[in-house]
Amino acid sequence: MKQTRREFIKNNAIAATAAAAGITIPGVTIAAEGDDGIRWDKAACRYCGTGCSVLMGVKDGKVVASQGDPDAPVNRGLNCIKGYFLPKILYGKDRLTQPLLRKTNGKYDKNGQFEAVSWDEAFKTMAEKWIEARKKGPKGIGMFGSGQWTVWEGYAAQKLLKAGFRSNSLEPNARHCMASAVGAFMRGFGIDEPMGCYDDLEHADAFVLWGANMAEMHPILWSRLTDTRLTKKGCEVHVMSTYTHRSFELSDNDIIFEPQTDLAIANYIANYIIQNKAYNQDFLDKNVNFTKTPTDIGYGLRPTDPREKAAKNAGKGKLSKISFEEYAKSVEPYTLEYTAKLSKVPAKNLERLAKVYADPNKKVSSYWTMGMNQHTRGVWVNGLVYNIHLLMGKISEPGNSPFSLTGQPSACGTAREVGTFTHRLPADLVVKKDAHCKFAEKTWKIPAGTIPRANGKTDDKDQTDISGKPMGKTLIHAVAMHRALNDGKMNTFWVMCNNNLQAAANFNDESYPGWRNPDNFITVSDPYPTVSAMGADLVLPTAMWIEKEGAYGNAERRTQFWREQVAAPGDAKSDLWQVMEFSKYVKTDDVWDAALLDANPDFKGKTLYEVLYANGQVDKFPAEQVTDDRGNKYDNHESSHFGFYAQKGLFEEYRLFNSAEGIPKKGHEMAEFGAYHKARGIRWPVVDGKETLWRFREGYDPHVAKGEGVKFYGKPDGKANIITAPYEPAAEPPDDEYPLWLCTGRVLEHWHSGSMTMRVPELRRAVPDALCYMHPKDAKKLRLRDGAKVKVVSRRGEIETRVDTRGRNKPPQGLVYVPWFDASRLINKVTLDQTDPLSKETDYKKCAVKVVKA
Amino acid sequence: MNICGILVHAKPTSFDAVRERLLSVDGIEIHGMSDEGRVVITLEEDDEDAMSDALHKVQTLEGVISASMIYHHNEDEV
Repeated sequence: MKQTRREFIKNNAIAATAAAAGITIPGVTIAAEGDDGIRWDKAACRYCGTGCSVLMGVKDGKVVASQGDPDAPVNRGLNCIKGYFLPKILYGKDRLTQPLLRKTNGKYDKNGQFEAVSWDEAFKTMAEKWIEARKKGPKGIGMFGSGQWTVWEGYAAQKLLKAGFRSNSLEPNARHCMASAVGAFMRGFGIDEPMGCYDDLEHADAFVLWGANMAEMHPILWSRLTDTRLTKKGCEVHVMSTYTHRSFELSDNDIIFEPQTDLAIANYIANYIIQNKAYNQDFLDKNVNFTKTPTDIGYGLRPTDPREKAAKNAGKGKLSKISFEEYAKSVEPYTLEYTAKLSKVPAKNLERLAKVYADPNKKVSSYWTMGMNQHTRGVWVNGLVYNIHLLMGKISEPGNSPFSLTGQPSACGTAREVGTFTHRLPADLVVKKDAHCKFAEKTWKIPAGTIPRANGKTDDKDQTDISGKPMGKTLIHAVAMHRALNDGKMNTFWVMCNNNLQAAANFNDESYPGWRNPDNFITVSDPYPTVSAMGADLVLPTAMWIEKEGAYGNAERRTQFWREQVAAPGDAKSDLWQVMEFSKYVKTDDVWDAALLDANPDFKGKTLYEVLYANGQVDKFPAEQVTDDRGNKYDNHESSHFGFYAQKGLFEEYRLFNSAEGIPKKGHEMAEFGAYHKARGIRWPVVDGKETLWRFREGYDPHVAKGEGVKFYGKPDGKANIITAPYEPAAEPPDDEYPLWLCTGRVLEHWHSGSMTMRVPELRRAVPDALCYMHPKDAKKLRLRDGAKVKVVSRRGEIETRVDTRGRNKPPQGLVYVPWFDASRLINKVTLDQTDPLSKETDYKKCAVKVVKA
Repeated sequence: MNICGILVHAKPTSFDAVRERLLSVDGIEIHGMSDEGRVVITLEEDDEDAMSDALHKVQTLEGVISASMIYHHNEDEV
C-alpha cells in the first residue's frame, strides 16, 4: 500500500524517536536518505553550552525538518524543546536584511530615525568614528562579542582589536557568565576548562547540583543524568539552590540555602572531611598545594561606592602558601550547627551531602552554572568545590568530576579558548606577559610591540600610542566598558552576537545613559531588532548560525563544525564577513603610532585587512567547492567574497597557538580543519589524532607520562591548589526597606535574552512574559493574589509584572525570582552592577528589592 | 503538516497514570514504551497555537521527568 507523504513523515518521526529510546516498534523503519527530497547534514545546536548535534533537513533552500543526531555522543538522538524549534529561529518575521543608520536630512544623527544604507556607507561612517575615538587612547574604542561567536569569528575579532586597532578593549558576554569559572581554573589548575567530560554522567554514583537548574537549562544532560539515576542501584541526586525548581523533581536531598551561604556549605563539607579524617592523604601529598586568598575584597562596584572604600583588600587575589594544618584550621569554624543556622538548611540534609563526598567508595560529580559563577565571590566558591574534590582525590577520573557547565554554545570554544577577553590571547596566553605577546606577534607576522601589553610596557619600556603618548594601562572589562561609555571615556562600541543592553546589570544608571551618550557611536550586529539593536546608532544585519560555515566548542572541550546549510536573507552578512570587511576601511596609519611604522615601513599605508587577513597565512587556502562525503554540495559566502577559504585559514593560523611546535602552553592541541567536518566533534587535547576524555590522569591524558599517576601540568610543579576562602556576606542583603532577595535567570523555553526564542510563535506563546515568582506566604503578607499586577522595586529602578505563586519556580519565603528574557520588562533596571572583584563577572542573583501592588 | 516525535521519560512508579495523562492531550499518539519509563509518542497538530499548548502540557504533566524532541517536520502541504 502506498503511503501518503504525511504517513511517510510520521513514520520517520516514530522511527527516529524509537531509535533514540532504544525501543523496537514492529513495522517501523527509518527511511533512506534522499527518499523525501531532503538534504540532511549535521550542525551544532545554536543554543546552550551542552553542544548537542542536530540534523538539519533542507529542501529548496529552506530548513523544513530537524532531528536529534543519533550519531552524536553528546545527545544520542535527543533534542530539548528549544532544539526542536531551532529551524524557526531563522525565519522570524522581523529578520533584519539591510544595514540601518540613524539619520536626519540624509546625514548621520544620533537622534535621527533608522534609514537603510549600503554596507559601504555603514562601514565608512563607522570607520570615521572608530579612528577618531581611537585617538583618545586604546580604551577610546570597544568591542563586545560573544560566546556564541563561531571560533573563527572570535579569532578574527581578536586580531582586529588587539593586533589591528592596538586595543585590548575586547570582551565577550561570557564575562557575564563564565569568567568566575575561568578564574578558578587558572588559580587552581593553571589551565582552563573541565578535567572531566559528559561521560561522567554515566559513571557517577552521586550527582550534586550547586546552583544549576539542569532540568531546564541543560535538558539533554539532565536526561542522561536521569537515566543513570533511574537505572543504577544506589545512585542519588542532591540539588542545591536558593529556590525550588524543576530539577528538584529528581532530587533525593533538597537543599534550599540562603543566598551567598554556598561559601559556608562548601567549607562545612571540607571541615567534615577533615574532622572525620576521610581525606586522601596520598593524593594530597603528591598532587596538592595549600594556599589562601586575601579576604574582604569588595564587590566590584565603582570605586566611589562606600562598600568599595570600606574593603581592606579591594580586588586582591594573590595566593600565599599555607600548611595543611592552617587550611584545616581555616575551615574549622564551619561546624554543622553554625552552617545549618547560617544557610537555613536542615542539619540532616547538610550532613547527608557531606557524607556523599566523604565516602571513598562513591563517585561524585558536581555540576554548576550561573548560581556559582554569577556571584560576587564566584572565583572563591568555584575553588571551594574543587577543594572538596581535591581533598578526596575525586577528580580527573570517570565519575569523579567537578564540572563547570556553560550557558553558551561556544563560551569555551570561542570566548575562552580563542581568548576574546581584554586580558587574554589564544590558548590561555595573556597580554600581561610580554613573552606571550611577542609569541602572538611572531605568529601573526606583525611587528614586535604592536599588541598593547596590560601595563603598556614591552621590554620594560613604554609602548607608544597613536597620540604619541605612552599607551598606559590597557585592560577594561565588560562592566567597566558600560561605565566608560557612560563617562564618555569610550566613544565607539561594537556589540556583536549578543544583547548587552538588555543583559547588563543596572540599565538605568549605567547601560542606557552610556549607549545614548551623545558623544558615543554604538554599532550592533544582530539578526533581529533586539533591545540592543534599537538602542544603537548603526544596526548591521547578521547571517546567523547555519547561514554560514561555523565551529563551536562546548563545555566538555568538544570542538564541532558545520557547513553553510542555507543562504541568509537579503543583505545580511555573517559576523566573520563583517569583521573582515570592516578592516578594509581602516589603515595602519590611522591607528598605529609613527615610531612603530617608521621602524616597520612595510606596514605603512596598509589596510588592517592586508595586515591581519591577507597575510599569506589566513589567505593561504583557495576557495573551494564545499562537498560532504556523500557528495552533497554547500555554499560558503565568505570564501566566495574574499576569494580564499577564510574559515580554514583562520582556524589553521589559530592552531599555531595551540598545536604547533614550541608553543608557550601545551595541553590545548586540536586536530586539522578537515577532521572536524568528518567527526561529531573532537575533545581537546587532540594528540596523534586521538581525543582526550579525562585530563591530568595517566592512561587518559597523553600529557601525563607513564608512572606519573596524576599530574596537574597547568602548574609548573604539577600540583593543583586548594585555596581557602571564608564566607563573606553579599553586597546588598535585604533590609527593612527592601526586604526580599531578587534572583534572576532563565526559563526552559527561552534561551538567554529571548532575542531568538521570542521570535518563535510557539515558544513566545508558551511563556510570553517574565513573571515574579513568589512564595504564597509572602504574597499573602502583601495581600497579593496569584496573577496580581505588581512592581518589583530596588534602589535603582523598577519593573511592572504579575505575581506567580504556583509556577514551576517556587522560591522560599524572603526571595523572588524574575527571568530576564522579556524585553518589555527589563529586570536589569532593578539589578545591581556588582561583580566578583577577581573575575569581574556580574552577580545577577542577589540584590534587595521590595514588591508592591501596581 | 506539522509533526514531531517525542521521547518522554516517565517515573516508572507512575507509569500507567502518565500514559493516561499523555493520551488526554489532543494530537498525541503513543507508539511504544519500555520498562525503564521511556515512552515514544508523536504529536501531530497543524495549528501552531494548539501545538504550543500541547508541547507545553507534555512537559509539565505530573510524573513526566523529561520530554525530548527527537524529530520535527514542518512543511506547507502541496
